[in-house]
Amino acid sequence: MTKITVNGRAVEADPKQPLIAACHANQADVPTYCYHPGLTPVGSCRICQVEVQQGTGPARVVVACRTYPAEGMVVQTESEKAHEVRRECLEFLLKNHPLDCPICDKAGECDLQDFTYTEGQSAGRSHEPRRPLEKRKSLGDVIVLDEERCILCSRCVRFFEEVTKKPQLTVADLGSRSTIATFADRPLTGNYQGNIADLCPVGALTLKKFRFQARVWNLVKMASTCAECSRGCSTTVEVLRGGEVKRFRPRDNPAVNQWWLCDTGRFAFEHVNAGERLDGARTRESLAAVAELLAEDPAALLVASPFCTQEEGALILGFARSRGVQAYFLSPAPNGLKDALLHTGDPCPNRRGLTELGFAPLSPAEIGSPKTLVLFGERSAELCGTALARAGRVALFDCHAAALPNVAASIGVPTHVERSGTWINIDGQRGVLGAARPAPAGVRPLTSLVPELAALLRAQAVRP
Amino acid sequence: MRKFETWLLERATVPNAHTLAVYKQLGGYHALSKVLKGEKPMSPADVVNEVKLSELRGRGGAGFSCGMKWSFMPDPQKDPRPRYLAINADESEPGTCKDRVLMEQDPHGLVEGALIACYAIRAQAAYIYVRGEYRLSYQRLQAAIDEARAANLVGKNILGTGFSCEIHMHKGAGAYICGEETGLMESLEGKRGHPRPKPPFPAAFGLWGQPTTVNNVETIFNVPFIVARGGAWHAAIGTKGSKGNFLCGVSGHVEKPGVYELPFGLTARQIIDEFAGGVWKGRKCKAWFPGGSSCALVKGEDLDVVLDHDSLKTKGSSLGTAALIVMDDQTSIARVMEIIARFYDHESCGQCSQCREGTQWLSQIFHRIATGQGQPDDVATLESLAKGMAPGKTICALSDAAAIPTLSAVRLFKDELLECVKQKRDTLPYPRVEYAGAH
Repeated sequence: MTKITVNGRAVEADPKQPLIAACHANQADVPTYCYHPGLTPVGSCRICQVEVQQGTGPARVVVACRTYPAEGMVVQTESEKAHEVRRECLEFLLKNHPLDCPICDKAGECDLQDFTYTEGQSAGRSHEPRRPLEKRKSLGDVIVLDEERCILCSRCVRFFEEVTKKPQLTVADLGSRSTIATFADRPLTGNYQGNIADLCPVGALTLKKFRFQARVWNLVKMASTCAECSRGCSTTVEVLRGGEVKRFRPRDNPAVNQWWLCDTGRFAFEHVNAGERLDGARTRESLAAVAELLAEDPAALLVASPFCTQEEGALILGFARSRGVQAYFLSPAPNGLKDALLHTGDPCPNRRGLTELGFAPLSPAEIGSPKTLVLFGERSAELCGTALARAGRVALFDCHAAALPNVAASIGVPTHVERSGTWINIDGQRGVLGAARPAPAGVRPLTSLVPELAALLRAQAVRP
Repeated sequence: MRKFETWLLERATVPNAHTLAVYKQLGGYHALSKVLKGEKPMSPADVVNEVKLSELRGRGGAGFSCGMKWSFMPDPQKDPRPRYLAINADESEPGTCKDRVLMEQDPHGLVEGALIACYAIRAQAAYIYVRGEYRLSYQRLQAAIDEARAANLVGKNILGTGFSCEIHMHKGAGAYICGEETGLMESLEGKRGHPRPKPPFPAAFGLWGQPTTVNNVETIFNVPFIVARGGAWHAAIGTKGSKGNFLCGVSGHVEKPGVYELPFGLTARQIIDEFAGGVWKGRKCKAWFPGGSSCALVKGEDLDVVLDHDSLKTKGSSLGTAALIVMDDQTSIARVMEIIARFYDHESCGQCSQCREGTQWLSQIFHRIATGQGQPDDVATLESLAKGMAPGKTICALSDAAAIPTLSAVRLFKDELLECVKQKRDTLPYPRVEYAGAH
């Protein structure tokens, strides 16, 4: 570690990391466009200029992303000179930027907009019309490119080169005519395209599925964990006014997913946004019905959803043990989406956690035809598939109803964006779930329903 | 006519000097044999010292000491990586046309220089990056390399001395930015010619990440003469800080434009009047570029400045590539700057914000002024934009190269530019030729 001074504070910095990392770690909010901690710094946008003084030499203005901490370096990020050069640079960046913030999906979370508000001048000096370019260029199924908004930071280009290791984008043409392009306008491919919309510091790359869906300041954001595979990528769930989930976005977690998220996880709204939820209106009656089923069949098969949290799992397991039966969790076959970067191909986000608790995996085919089947947790009926019809009677704790004659009782539970809890990922990392929106009226989580069910059964047992 | 010793263009006037036979008749490859197997063979360090002693400065525009640059190469004992010499023959600066003469008329001179330079910096190979438009240069150089290889002057075990050196050619594809040393290396590696941020410098991380020295054609061309005649001989010619002869490409409004070999110490007026036949049509010089379009304009009344590295600084300009562009008193500065600004807009690589947007902006404003559509604040905007683009605010110096002439034009010819804005017309109209891609 190297000792440097950032804005008067003596701090320690890693000499292998660019100076900007040390600035950001020490509350010095230097703006960045081309720099991203997950990508090789190229020093091309020139916005992160700071004043640096070393030894007895004069203070110099340098780009913080291509300068490395050296012993005794004195860094001023807020000096008059540093602000001046950043302001100059900003004016150039805005020269051809269309300033269509009112119709831009990025507005509200745009680095260029934010920095312009803090630093920029209120009036532009350019008399020229802005560079007219393609406003909506499709780059495949996931991404739309607005060439006019692009500030050519090349983060997206480097993402494909360095993270997915499959270069797909490039900067085409020269100088002020440069645009981001794929070879021969071929569409982008792969399961990680969505990340370039997050990486884009402006509104040039937007997600087709998020285009004109919401203003970002109306989104309620909650830290959570992706449910699509056993990697358990850290995410932010973004809900529009307590209603639909509009976005899943990766949340920086060096131990799991770094800054990235696959498109499968990013666009997994179908289940959480599906209508016709099982509500909580008849929860008490239904619980009594489940208790009766269980009282009649002591060997009833208890199967948890792989989406059950550790907290729910512990209660289900305790309940099963009190009845002297094995608790299982549904374990569907790998889905073929496994790749070298994040996706594990295993659709059970809490496989490791449930296994460690004492659950045994049970594939849908292994369910057989039990006399009584109790399914706990979201999507359990869906994951059972045709196996559900083979069971004698079914008690279902799920988000959505299963329209089968053998379903004797259905009780609504929250989805993973409506409850809190913990999943353990494939590597043993804890992933937290946060309730980003309330569950439908009266719907209670399994952590409340399972103890009540156990209490009902105990009460039945003491009844003469 | 002045009398002075010449060597750079000495052979260029001899018919067929580009062939090995004639080149050898004229004393070619003597310096190489002197270095490799003379009475007292020179070690690589000896060659570097001789070049240091000669005070030869780079002729590519920056004027950095050649010997010093060579000594930046890491010690081969401590750093056994392969190392390269890259020769910058991507001569694209507006006004500059000196390397072309050397490569077309005397390619063996460059090959010999490259071999000695490789020996000095212990490079296994030299890459000559030739501007794509220089077809004859490329053909002649390639022919010279082939001839030299057949005569065991290039390749393995040269002249039986155990010294091996390959020379490869590469043809540019028309981008000015590939003449920037790091852009040149990227281009040589097969990538887009985007300059790399420095540090790391080429001597530490150059071609394919290996130690590399990048030199201009004319610089390398001087090396065999320095080795043959001694560094002291070279250092005795010229002015303080600028030694030897240089190739001066005179263009613009002169009677006899051309490439002249001159010793340092002559004033611009002497060069224009005694060699280039004076300003054409008996007119006066209004302004001139001392070294290509990337350096600051100098006023016509300042022609008595000595054309060398240090003297031009007193006029706020620099020697650059010693490409004198002379403009007569009927030249519109707005029009000149429009053309120059459009060039930089066209050639900016687009990496750095200031350069990508700034060159375009300068070009748009100069176009406006030159076509009578100038706005009252345009001249002030030009000045502040140029200050925002330079110095040293970007990865490479192209942004500076666009800003420096702009600043000088605003400094020296502010009244004329303001007059164009005020009168809503170019006050010195010149027949306009509209180019494809003009605004």
